[in-house]
Amino acid sequence: MMHRRSFLSCSSLAAVSLAAPGLFTRAHAAGDALKIGIPVPISGAFAANGQFATMGALMAAEEVTQAIGREVSTIDLDTEGKPATAVRKVQDAMAQDGVGLFAGGILSSESLAMGKEVARGNAVLMTTAGADEITGVDCNRGTFRWSVPTYGAINETVRPLIDLLPNAKRWYTITPQYVFGDGLLNAAKDVFAEKGVEHLGNSYHSLTDKEFSGYLTNAIAAQPDVLLLLNFGAQSSDTLRQAVSFGLKERMTIVVAWASGLEQFEGLGADICDGVYFGAQYWHAADAPANRELVAKVQEKHGINPNYSFAGSYLCSKLLLDAAVKVDSTDGGAVAGVLEGLTYDGLTGQEEIRAADHQVIKEYYLLKGKAKDAMADKDDYADIVSSGKSFLSPEEAGCKMS
Amino acid sequence: MIYLFQVLNGIGIGMLYFLLAVGLSVIFGLLQFVNFAHGAFYLLGAYLTYDLTSRGLSFWAAMPIATLIVAGAAALIEALLLHRIYKLPHSFHILVTVGLALMIQELTIIVWGPLGGSVAPPAGLTGVVMLGDFIYPQYRLFTIAFTAVLAALLWWLLEGTRLGAVVRGGSESSDNMALLGYNTLRINTAVFGFGAGLAGLAGALAAPIRGVEPFMGIEALSVAFVVVVIGGMGSYTGALVAGLLVGVTQSVMAAIWPEGARLMIYIGMALVIALMPRGLLGRA
Repeated sequence: MMHRRSFLSCSSLAAVSLAAPGLFTRAHAAGDALKIGIPVPISGAFAANGQFATMGALMAAEEVTQAIGREVSTIDLDTEGKPATAVRKVQDAMAQDGVGLFAGGILSSESLAMGKEVARGNAVLMTTAGADEITGVDCNRGTFRWSVPTYGAINETVRPLIDLLPNAKRWYTITPQYVFGDGLLNAAKDVFAEKGVEHLGNSYHSLTDKEFSGYLTNAIAAQPDVLLLLNFGAQSSDTLRQAVSFGLKERMTIVVAWASGLEQFEGLGADICDGVYFGAQYWHAADAPANRELVAKVQEKHGINPNYSFAGSYLCSKLLLDAAVKVDSTDGGAVAGVLEGLTYDGLTGQEEIRAADHQVIKEYYLLKGKAKDAMADKDDYADIVSSGKSFLSPEEAGCKMS
Repeated sequence: MIYLFQVLNGIGIGMLYFLLAVGLSVIFGLLQFVNFAHGAFYLLGAYLTYDLTSRGLSFWAAMPIATLIVAGAAALIEALLLHRIYKLPHSFHILVTVGLALMIQELTIIVWGPLGGSVAPPAGLTGVVMLGDFIYPQYRLFTIAFTAVLAALLWWLLEGTRLGAVVRGGSESSDNMALLGYNTLRINTAVFGFGAGLAGLAGALAAPIRGVEPFMGIEALSVAFVVVVIGGMGSYTGALVAGLLVGVTQSVMAAIWPEGARLMIYIGMALVIALMPRGLLGRA
């Protein structure tokens, strides 16, 4: 029989293991394998995104392994969604495992912090985070970004909707108070001013909020035509779910400027998504050859359609690994040299990595949720209303490449 | 006018917070046991409701079933594991219950996946009530009424029945209760299961409002601790007063200073700790 003391020792060990899963990184590293670090939140509020991201990176690594006949290993680095943790994990991976390639960073705050560290270590990071600063004022030689930044996300959602809904002149916003939310809010205010739309007000909330009824009551009091949600992940799902329960869908148009796409729709369900507009970086039904190919592969391997976290991580990892293979090195400068100016068949069509600021020029989608009985299959949650490419020039974004 | 509705909304939030915290308070009051797995029982209640309603069961059946399963599972865990560490320092309570919470959380991800989901409000409560220009969901009004009735029943159970007297007696001195012939081990198990069941019920009630996701227990735990610390550890009335206070503060602050709405409840907790270390209605 196990004594109490032994039991407690075991429990402690188990608790520590569970509390800090990132301490025990999964590394397929062996010998001279080509290594890529995947710094994403695998625990915490954004864990769902991180777990799909690791799956996407793994698929890219397997493809490259098959193509070059040399082992490619992924190293999971659980950032917990915290910039300090992310930086520490990246530092350790560079120093202890000699990792020079990183694909990850779901939150802007962690990506900004990691980008500086990676540049300092002559490594390279490709991220899907949204804040303008990543390829703007805080751009650097080691950081690349696949996602459309906040400026483009707003310009491809708010702008077409203002044209689509000419009578919707009064907008209210709910925004998380950090660099990403402020980026979206500032871009939205610029479009409102340009288009003569009245911004009735904004409610800021913290990154830990789960209860949004107080902010929704503010919005109801302002009586807007459109409620624009500028938060992300579980928080935008919570806000939308609570807005629908307050009957706001019947009283105003609801727009989620930055949705995670399929993974978010699955969590929300069709009844909540129906009639709501969503901005999206990626949609599995988008008509692009590389996307059709990826969808077929993921369906075959995992039996699911790829979502944004999966697809973004897959593409970032693939681009980095292909570049490293091409120069036979993971030296940051050499890999960056291959990526700068690269044009390729991407998941949203033809994509280009702008050399001046390391921003990928790609499509951003405006989707509209459809009714359950109109869905052709279980993942057919939305139709593409429009798509386009909106980017600040490197000079406008404030990028001075260091 | 908006402040009036923020107060109404805050009462709705506060009643849910009370339900979440009262179980934690009762467990601490009787057992002097700091239960960091309380949020995990809330999580479990929410997910069981989600699962059962996804299988076609009505919400009215799913809610009590989920509550009973959580209460039963918690009682079993107490009987097999937790009662062995009551006499140990609080640091052991924290270590074991945090481990337990993480295990429940990871099991939730394994069973139901990392994405979360939505639970539709029960038929008949899907609409809204119009109050002038303001709107309030029928389901939230139901939770206020339901929790108010439950709060009255709980008070009667703890203060007006023989069972309550035994529980209160146990919280004063379990040794004396044992000398009087009561099986204190069983009382402890029952109280722990009851307290955890209340967390499960809070999770079941919250599921149609907030949906379910694997990390909802962490936020619930932090709110429950704030409420219990403000109200006073082990105080039933304190949990009710503090739950309402926190809910109303959070909601009204959303209108006055939205970015500080969350911060204010922690500032409030810090002030209470500094000025009234036993909480508003805590016992000496």
